[in-house]
Amino acid sequence: MAAISVKGLVRGYGPIQVLQGLDMAVDEGSIYGLLGPSGCGKTTLLKVILGFLEPESGTLNVNGEIPGSDVGYAPQEIALYPDLSIAETMRFHGRLHGMKAEQILSRQAWLIDFLDLPEPSRPVGKLSGGQKRRVSLAVALLHEPNLLLLDEPTVGVDPELRARIWNHLQEIASSGTTIVITTHYIDEAGKANRVGLMRDGVLLAEDTPQSVMESQSSSSLEEAFLALCRREVKA
Amino acid sequence: MNLQRVYAIAARKFASLRRDKRMFGFIVLMPALQILLFGWAIGGTPTDLNVIIVDDGPAEQSAIFIGHVEGGDALLVSFSDSMDDANSSVVNGDAWAVLHLLPDGTISVVLDNSNQQVTNTILLEVRDAMQEASGGQLPLHIAEPIYGDRDPSFIDFLAPGIMTLVCFMFSTILTTMAFVGERHDGTLDRVFAAGTQPSEVMLGHIGAFSGILIGQVTVVIAIATLGFDIPINGSVLLLFAVCLLLGWAAMCLGLVISSKAKSEFQAMQLNMPLLFPVLLLSGILWPVEALPGWLQPVSWALPTTWTAEACRSIMIRGWGLESYSVQMALLINAIFGLLMLTIASRTIRVRKS
Repeated sequence: MAAISVKGLVRGYGPIQVLQGLDMAVDEGSIYGLLGPSGCGKTTLLKVILGFLEPESGTLNVNGEIPGSDVGYAPQEIALYPDLSIAETMRFHGRLHGMKAEQILSRQAWLIDFLDLPEPSRPVGKLSGGQKRRVSLAVALLHEPNLLLLDEPTVGVDPELRARIWNHLQEIASSGTTIVITTHYIDEAGKANRVGLMRDGVLLAEDTPQSVMESQSSSSLEEAFLALCRREVKA
Repeated sequence: MNLQRVYAIAARKFASLRRDKRMFGFIVLMPALQILLFGWAIGGTPTDLNVIIVDDGPAEQSAIFIGHVEGGDALLVSFSDSMDDANSSVVNGDAWAVLHLLPDGTISVVLDNSNQQVTNTILLEVRDAMQEASGGQLPLHIAEPIYGDRDPSFIDFLAPGIMTLVCFMFSTILTTMAFVGERHDGTLDRVFAAGTQPSEVMLGHIGAFSGILIGQVTVVIAIATLGFDIPINGSVLLLFAVCLLLGWAAMCLGLVISSKAKSEFQAMQLNMPLLFPVLLLSGILWPVEALPGWLQPVSWALPTTWTAEACRSIMIRGWGLESYSVQMALLINAIFGLLMLTIASRTIRVRKS
């Protein structure tokens, strides 16, 4: 069943066209890797899905109450209040989602352990870039939403932890969570159930990572992406 | 409207405010300093003005006149036998006026009339001294005033306006920085992704700032009345309520600025062209009735004009909630605040382009 289905989506900013008739389908309980160079419209697409931007034309169907507590969103910017401590950040977002104090604290303890975060009293502004990125991810995971929209969540995160994050995402996906993740580490998206290769506001391909590679007879997703781009330019 | 979300936003903002010590000091100290400076610099009665008396008057009457004038703080009296010498002192700028007491009991006043406030002070003093010297026989009789003192000082008129201005200015500044940048750095996006409504964001901020606002208004009223001995003939509680409501309306204006500004610098810049017209158009320094007719409607569209008028009614006239000016002040501030709140909510909801 599709958790998100997008058909013929067009959205720009004034005269600038960003999404130009994009089709996309994300299955419930799967990880969808949205790949593409910066400026191709990934973030705009996420903002349309979140309801921040209205489509100019095309249709969009998303399961659940969005925006609302059914969605967990980690924007590409760190987007955290630097003067708040990690614990205050968790408390703030937990309260926004109507969580109870003890619920927030137990989730916080788990997330700090899982994402290898420093002690909760540390102000977010004093953390390293990678630590901030992980707090940002923790905020998105905090209320265990049905849908996760993660915009570049693994930038500046070390490979070991990145692997652990992917494991966890696969785990929660198999128990029903739908995840859309953008990344420019194209090969890391090999762990996704499906990938969409995006360029100039449309998807060049949308399939399982395996099928995408096979269709371009490539040994890696990165190579397949390059091949697809080249073909597009020729056409 | 989800109150838990409003509370979450208020608690978060309050945590930030409490941490920012310098900001906190600024917020509490600046209004106090401002009102102190206003009280000292503007509206006080001038003292020790040099005047020269040339006494050719009837002995008894002159003695009473001179006694009265010398007894007050306003005038510093010296004497001369020659009108020519006395006049040249005024010409040289050594004295503000020559008071010539004439044999028929009248007085001729020669003035350096370059400063209206100084002239007014001198003439008021002369009037009172004459009244006393004539044994109350002057053809002019001024009855005990219905409102205000027998000798109204400018500061009594000014103080309610200045209180209005300070409450307005600092409440606006208070929220001007509230979420500058949050619209662009993604923090608000995250908040909205949780299903938060713009109005909940606004109310949360107002909640967090209200504690500070109450402190500000209290400080302003306390300094004005205790520090400068300005009487409050009406209800202090009503005065507090009117100022607080203005503060809330101004906070909503600050939220509008905050939601429109792209940077803190821009937010501060947006403040400036707002505050100066408010000072000039609200009848704070000078009566609205003195403005050109076409400009007066602008004055009456400002919540500060109504608030200053209401504060004067409460403080000087001792009027209460039944008075038109107090009711209008409350109404206009409520409307202004809600209007600003709506604009601010709409602005942060606006789709990014």
